[in-house]
Amino acid sequence: MQSILYPGGIPLWRNVVFIQWVVQIISAIVIIAIVSGFIFNVANEIQDREIPFGFNFLDDAAQIPIGESVIQYDPSQSYLYGFSVAALNTIKASVLGVLLATTLGIIIGVSRLSRNWLLSRLALVYIETFRNIPLLIQLLFWFLIILELPNVREGYIFFDAFYLNNSGFYLPWATPLGGFWPWAILTVIGFAGGILAFNYLTKREIVTGQPSYPIIAGIAIFVVATIVGLIIFSPLELVVPERQEGPFGRLQGGARWSGSFFALLIGLVVYTSAFIAEIVRAGIQAVNRGQTEAARALGLHTNASLRWVIFPQALRVIIPPLISQYLNLTKNSSLAAAIGYPDLVSVSTTMTQIAPAISLIGMVMATYLAMSLFYSLVGNIYNRITRYAGVG
Amino acid sequence: MMSRFEILGCSPNTEKIAILGGNYNMKKQLLIAILATVSVFAVAFSACTSDDGPTDADLQDAQATTSAAQSALSAANARADAAEASADEAMKMAEEAKMEADQAMMPEETGGRLAQVQERGHLICASRNDVPGYGFLDDSGRSVGFDIDLCRAVATAVLGDPEAIEVVFINAAERGPTIQSGEVDLLVRTVTWTTSRDAQWGNYAQTMFYDGQGFMVPADLGVTSAYELSGAAVCVTSGTTTELNMADFFRQNAMEYNPQVFEDTDIVLSSYESGACDVFTNDRSQLAALRTSLQNPADHVILPETISEEPLGPVVPHGDDQWFDIVKTVMSGLIYAEGYGINSGNVSAKASGDDVKAKRLLGTEGTIGQESLGLSETFMQDVINAVGNYGEIYDRNLGPDGIDLPREGGRNALWSDAPCGDCPKGGQIYAAPLR
Repeated sequence: MQSILYPGGIPLWRNVVFIQWVVQIISAIVIIAIVSGFIFNVANEIQDREIPFGFNFLDDAAQIPIGESVIQYDPSQSYLYGFSVAALNTIKASVLGVLLATTLGIIIGVSRLSRNWLLSRLALVYIETFRNIPLLIQLLFWFLIILELPNVREGYIFFDAFYLNNSGFYLPWATPLGGFWPWAILTVIGFAGGILAFNYLTKREIVTGQPSYPIIAGIAIFVVATIVGLIIFSPLELVVPERQEGPFGRLQGGARWSGSFFALLIGLVVYTSAFIAEIVRAGIQAVNRGQTEAARALGLHTNASLRWVIFPQALRVIIPPLISQYLNLTKNSSLAAAIGYPDLVSVSTTMTQIAPAISLIGMVMATYLAMSLFYSLVGNIYNRITRYAGVG
Repeated sequence: MMSRFEILGCSPNTEKIAILGGNYNMKKQLLIAILATVSVFAVAFSACTSDDGPTDADLQDAQATTSAAQSALSAANARADAAEASADEAMKMAEEAKMEADQAMMPEETGGRLAQVQERGHLICASRNDVPGYGFLDDSGRSVGFDIDLCRAVATAVLGDPEAIEVVFINAAERGPTIQSGEVDLLVRTVTWTTSRDAQWGNYAQTMFYDGQGFMVPADLGVTSAYELSGAAVCVTSGTTTELNMADFFRQNAMEYNPQVFEDTDIVLSSYESGACDVFTNDRSQLAALRTSLQNPADHVILPETISEEPLGPVVPHGDDQWFDIVKTVMSGLIYAEGYGINSGNVSAKASGDDVKAKRLLGTEGTIGQESLGLSETFMQDVINAVGNYGEIYDRNLGPDGIDLPREGGRNALWSDAPCGDCPKGGQIYAAPLR
């Protein structure tokens, strides 16, 4: 390259390619130095202070109590199993929380934009209240409210099967028996058949113009398959909570949603839904006003235009920040330790009494990372499906 | 990045080069400054992470690099006539580089924990503020309690001042990491001595209180024994031996139960009081202490069974034998002071009296190892003047002037209180003889 300024060629220190390489190499060195600094520091400290480290403990009996679990647990089982029980508790709170917070958040976000003055102000008050109070305080607030319910011996009973008291909500629950899996397979087949029938009949209705009742037919196939399976295989047994003998009168059988879990779920849902509401509002407002007007010009009702025109476009704006709210909710669930829900952090804290703390904290971090990445993955796939065709 | 460099260095457009010429110098300066900073950082870093602190060679290296960096910078500065603002920035960089080099040259903290504490001027203790009698805040916000007094005793021994303490309040689960990291000098927070904790957390100096785990239940449930607790919901604080003992106890006796584990004692109490759990389990003495803070203490009974051994005492970080020995000696001193009848009222009389053992303890005749420990000859006089002997500490916090736990005839009486002189029927409070 011939330059007016440098007739003899560009000197090395003014060569773009060279400078870029130097900058890259320096950045790499700095980053490697910092990261390896941390690692060496930790390694040195572990050695100097004789802090125990390792993963051999995972097969030993955990010997710790866990109050509630999705799968059966008792303290003679291994640390690894106990850790999975706790991880499942976190996942349970996270998944339910995400579903409920999304639903509530969309409702509040749309209400915030409502032309009804009262509704929109109420939504505003809700958002500003719950968004601006620290989550830990909200969790303690809900937990202490639940503690105000009467105790298990004096609590409310509905239909002799549902119990509500300050230990939680007890409800009848189905326990799988031997025929569970055949029934489950039949149900899935029925579901697939229902969808196929729905698609076929919808197409037929459009092509031939004859009413073919696709929805009714689809649902009927699914329901018939399920019920026939229930009769043939008798896969489930409904267990109703019953009061135990003895002075404590605790309830046994069925499902129990503990007070701690309730408080955690309410707290997470209320807190996160306030953020989601704002995201939904922002997404809807980001859709060009002309779209609303066009929808109206087509004769679409407000709800229909929201459903078919505005929301699909708003979703593209909503999805990325929504995913980050899901991640927040999942990580915030670690505050559960304060109100006695045996989540990942709470249980691993108990485990650190005997097992090495650094290993456990590493495992906890890895688990949260895996959950976050999973949510991101699902969100990104959904985002790819819903984006404009041909737009990157 | 690309396009800017193109404009600066390689574009044939001479006009733009003329306009941006001043800035161009800045780029080069920045580059040199970054290089200098990185090299200083690398040297400083390697000095910091080496085991025995920075060696002389390292320091010389650091100095050399710094001066190299400085000369490079001043050379760069000289060229920067056209851009004064950028020169300022380079100066800043140079200052940073110098500061980093300074840090590299600072010697690592020398001496053991005793020297560190004396240099710092106060003792850092990890303790609690939520259980009357053990660690609590009085009306004026001052830390008081049995555990706090042990902290004050050590502070008096090494610094001569019972107020020279900084108390860090931690919850049960934080105890292990806090003492493992060595960020506190002393952990006195109703810590049960167990073998794994001794191996992993730190060194247990001396058992100062013998406790055992019990259960508290509302009286109206009519439960009279821990073996009747099948089917109960049990509240417990996380990260404690009580949590593990409880699991063992129920498993051993094949009893169903529902554990409810909370981080903080306050929430455990709220849950228990509201009936969300039927039973509260903890060390018996803490149950007694916490019962006083319930709305109606008489409505709650502590069941007779003790399901575990819970020897409580101060813990020091691993790796400093001198500090470990100091804390043990102070604890021994407190215990024997009571045995010899030395209390905060008669220290000077005893120091000049004719009781040989008392005079040895108080440092007026013979030695109990002060010199090897690096403590003053008469440190126990200061300690007893400040906090009193073991019995006085007990009475003030746990005894009649505190939460009123009976001591006489129990485990926490002195060994020598036995009815027949030396026969082993007294309490279990006993320590290394002072010689």
